[in-house]
Amino acid sequence: MFFKKIGVVGGGTMGQGISQMLAAKGLDVLLVEHTTEKLDHAYNMIETNLDKQLEKWAITKAEKKLILSRITKVAHLAELGTCDMVIETISEDLEAKKAVFSQLDQVCPSNVILASNTSTLSLTELASSTKYPERVIGMHFIHPVSRVDLVEIIRGLKTSDTTFAETRRFVEEVADKKGVMIYESPGFVTSRLICLLINEALHVLQEGVASAEDIDDAMRIGYNFQHGPLEMADRFGLDSVEAALERMFREFGELKYRPSTVLKKMVRAGHLGVKTGEGFFKYDKDGDRL
Amino acid sequence: MKVLVINAGSSSLKYQLYNMTDESVLAKGLVERIGMDSSILTHKPTGREDVTEVSEILEHTTAIRKVIDILTDKENGVLGSVDEIQAVGHRVVHGGEAFKESALVDDASKAEIRRLFDLAPLHNPAAMMGIRAAEANMPGVPQVMVFDTAFHQTMPEKAYLYAIPRVLYKKYKVRRYGAHGTSHDYVSKAAAEYLDRPLEDLKIITCHVGNGGSVTAVQGGVSVDTSMGMTPLEGLMMGTRSGDLDPAIVPYVMNKEELSVSEVNSMLNKHSGLLAISGISSDMREITEGMEAGDANSTLAFEMYEYRLRKYIGSYAAAMNGVDVIVFTAGVGENSVVLRQKVCEQLTYLGVELDEALNAIRSGEPRRITTANSKVDVLVVPTNEELVIARDTHRIVLNSL
Repeated sequence: MFFKKIGVVGGGTMGQGISQMLAAKGLDVLLVEHTTEKLDHAYNMIETNLDKQLEKWAITKAEKKLILSRITKVAHLAELGTCDMVIETISEDLEAKKAVFSQLDQVCPSNVILASNTSTLSLTELASSTKYPERVIGMHFIHPVSRVDLVEIIRGLKTSDTTFAETRRFVEEVADKKGVMIYESPGFVTSRLICLLINEALHVLQEGVASAEDIDDAMRIGYNFQHGPLEMADRFGLDSVEAALERMFREFGELKYRPSTVLKKMVRAGHLGVKTGEGFFKYDKDGDRL
Repeated sequence: MKVLVINAGSSSLKYQLYNMTDESVLAKGLVERIGMDSSILTHKPTGREDVTEVSEILEHTTAIRKVIDILTDKENGVLGSVDEIQAVGHRVVHGGEAFKESALVDDASKAEIRRLFDLAPLHNPAAMMGIRAAEANMPGVPQVMVFDTAFHQTMPEKAYLYAIPRVLYKKYKVRRYGAHGTSHDYVSKAAAEYLDRPLEDLKIITCHVGNGGSVTAVQGGVSVDTSMGMTPLEGLMMGTRSGDLDPAIVPYVMNKEELSVSEVNSMLNKHSGLLAISGISSDMREITEGMEAGDANSTLAFEMYEYRLRKYIGSYAAAMNGVDVIVFTAGVGENSVVLRQKVCEQLTYLGVELDEALNAIRSGEPRRITTANSKVDVLVVPTNEELVIARDTHRIVLNSL
């Protein structure tokens, strides 16, 4: 299989990051959003992000221009018929995702891989909305996509060996990232382990064992984490962490996944972390700790 | 014998076709934007109009196919058939320690190039694609690899080792390899020939200064030291590369600015040098214009660039205990009258006496720019790396037959 033109459905944070990373690797990207406003917003965010990289000397002006020139704004899924692979990155809503997959199934030739960037939903269930479930697979990138060189490749019940092998080749040779193979299970590996760590850190905080600052320092310095668990939660978005824990709690039925009450309180108060400027810590508009 | 010289980059491919009977160039050209749907092929048959074609060229095999098509084209071609190409010469950036001279392409040499991908991750894979593409299009035609590093393999241990734990050399071959070897080799020989003096007796300092740049100490015809190191980042200040700096700056800046390895690499390779100091351009012509217009940053950039180059000349004169010839070559070395002047003005302690009128002459021929009294001959010698590749290819293929 030759990977040259990739469709990216959804222009949110992950859609932007994936589009930008693929374009930087020399691929042509067709980025899809419902409305022109959303498309323009996504494209402008990519440009802003490239400007930040330019400031950090990661790319040159010419490279920025080249990367942007490889990203084409597209308004309809129907235009993805010529893509060599499509990656769906819309919000974590099972019904909406199923609708996207069922449309892509009709638009793309049956050998084209349809991947979802879902971090928690069932690939098997997504695939059930298509006629060719063997070509549906999960490709879970981690934010910020251009800096984190890991992709969880998730096999649904019906995902074929060819689809898996080609996806792994795409991740490792084309996107130049490490691919880990995961069989479908709620939270996969990364979300399941990190959410549990965050939840336990919240229990420690709630019990008054240590302050937020000290909990983060302990793990950051003691175990060489880039950010401590509470700052990580702030960066993921406290609402997203709560939702992921709730979903795993429901699926596994085990108490260890039950979100801590302090997390629920913070979400109710609208303190969602970096995106609202305040979570367990405070942040400026560039996302730097105050 | 007709020899096709190929210089393959990751998304470009340059070619020149030589008739080795008289070393004439029959045609040359360039394929750009390989991998995109609008690739551009520019073909320049000698003595005729340039031809430009835009088409979809997704990889190197197709690119070489297109090159052969245009070389044998009825209207714009210079060959009756592809069979007239009797040998292909490839430029390969990194030959590591395995290749001390140009080599015939076979399974063993290809395997060695693959082992060297680690040391030249941007360049060697592209050269390999060029070799594979030539094999696919011209099966059975002998091919030769010519290395940028080979000329410097004569350097002694004291010049190529870094003063760091030796295990790093043993495990990863961390050492100085140098670059532009083909050019340093060519211009040092051409200088001896121009002066009509035996190369064996000469101490020559060759300054290859273009967008990238390196200086080499050539004693008795062999490289004894060169300014580029394990990678082409060390040594001179360049268009966008820093050249020498305190290595402790790297972890310090990475920590302060939270930079990743690839970001700091990009900073030193693409955002430094003339561009960083002038804030205007990486191109010496624009820096010189800025300086003439009184721009302070351009003037500083020029002064730093000239100063670093002059320090290298001084250190290589010390390394060889003297110097007979200094050679300027490549884009800046061949064309910047003011750079050569500023360097030579401060080399009077070596006995250099610049002739300003000779220095101001523009020409495509080797020439002297010092007075008859000068103790050191300073020459401008236009480089010709493609010709060296063609000559090596011709010689090695003849010997192998």
